[in-house]
Amino acid sequence: MTPPPLILQDWRAWWPGQARPDESRLSGEERPAGKAVPAMLRRRLNLPGRAVSDMLDALDPEANRVLVHASRHGDGERTLQMLEALTDGQPVSPARFGLSVHNAILGVHSIASSNRRSQQALAASGAELAALFSEARGYLAAGERSVVVVFSDAPVPARFRGTDTPEVELAAVAMRLGTDAGRVITPEPLASSTAPCRAPQPTDVIRWLLGEAPLGCPGRRLSWRLAP
Amino acid sequence: MASPLEHELKQLIIETLELEDTTPEDIDPDEPLFVEGLGLDSIDALELGLALQKTYGIQLEAESEEARRHFASLRSLAALVEARRNA
Repeated sequence: MTPPPLILQDWRAWWPGQARPDESRLSGEERPAGKAVPAMLRRRLNLPGRAVSDMLDALDPEANRVLVHASRHGDGERTLQMLEALTDGQPVSPARFGLSVHNAILGVHSIASSNRRSQQALAASGAELAALFSEARGYLAAGERSVVVVFSDAPVPARFRGTDTPEVELAAVAMRLGTDAGRVITPEPLASSTAPCRAPQPTDVIRWLLGEAPLGCPGRRLSWRLAP
Repeated sequence: MASPLEHELKQLIIETLELEDTTPEDIDPDEPLFVEGLGLDSIDALELGLALQKTYGIQLEAESEEARRHFASLRSLAALVEARRNA
């Protein structure tokens, strides 16, 4: 049986300092407003969290869609701060602990938006985008009319970075995916003639959405074509 | 008029709980700190308990009736710190 097509219905992205004059779906704000979340909840979100909340609010205003969030590294800064506190014999901050977990952003968003649908957080060692598309296909095949997938990341703290840790750019991108009404996303084998590429980061997905660069996942030997 | 200790506690609450757009003047010493009034939640209670421990050496049982009483308002919190300082 042929799987249903994967269709990009709409998207939003945040990439500090990289706004494009003719593209309102890409925010270049240094500090996202996070207006979709009340101030008493917003204070607990980091910058990607604020951006993601606003993007989810734009792509799922009814707050009734399944949400999947991927981040390769998550909130490394909060996690490290907790480890450092433990090393110093200090008690761990409860708020920091609560917000360091991988599903923290979706958790805060779900409280603010009252979205009670399935919400999933994942990390995939550099294959986050492939995992997001796989998860979306699964939900769509199970009958969801559309799914919102989010990919965000932040630089790994310098004091935790290994010599071979790739540079990570601060950005987030969200896509509403369905089986109709939009641009078809087609997976293809990554051609052996393709120039070496890194594990895709949110900024690579944004460039792809803007039509500025192709998108591939060397770990899965996959690339994705976006219909005009 | 807030006492110097009340003002100090207001600053501690704002900084510890990262209360954006809140100034010391926004915190009414007699209003509830939790749910109503300032609108703090259970994670804030734990965080505030930790800050009291670090700053003043005060330890409270999280679930105790005593903690609920002391955390009722800024005024009652100030009374607790004052009493422990003088103990």
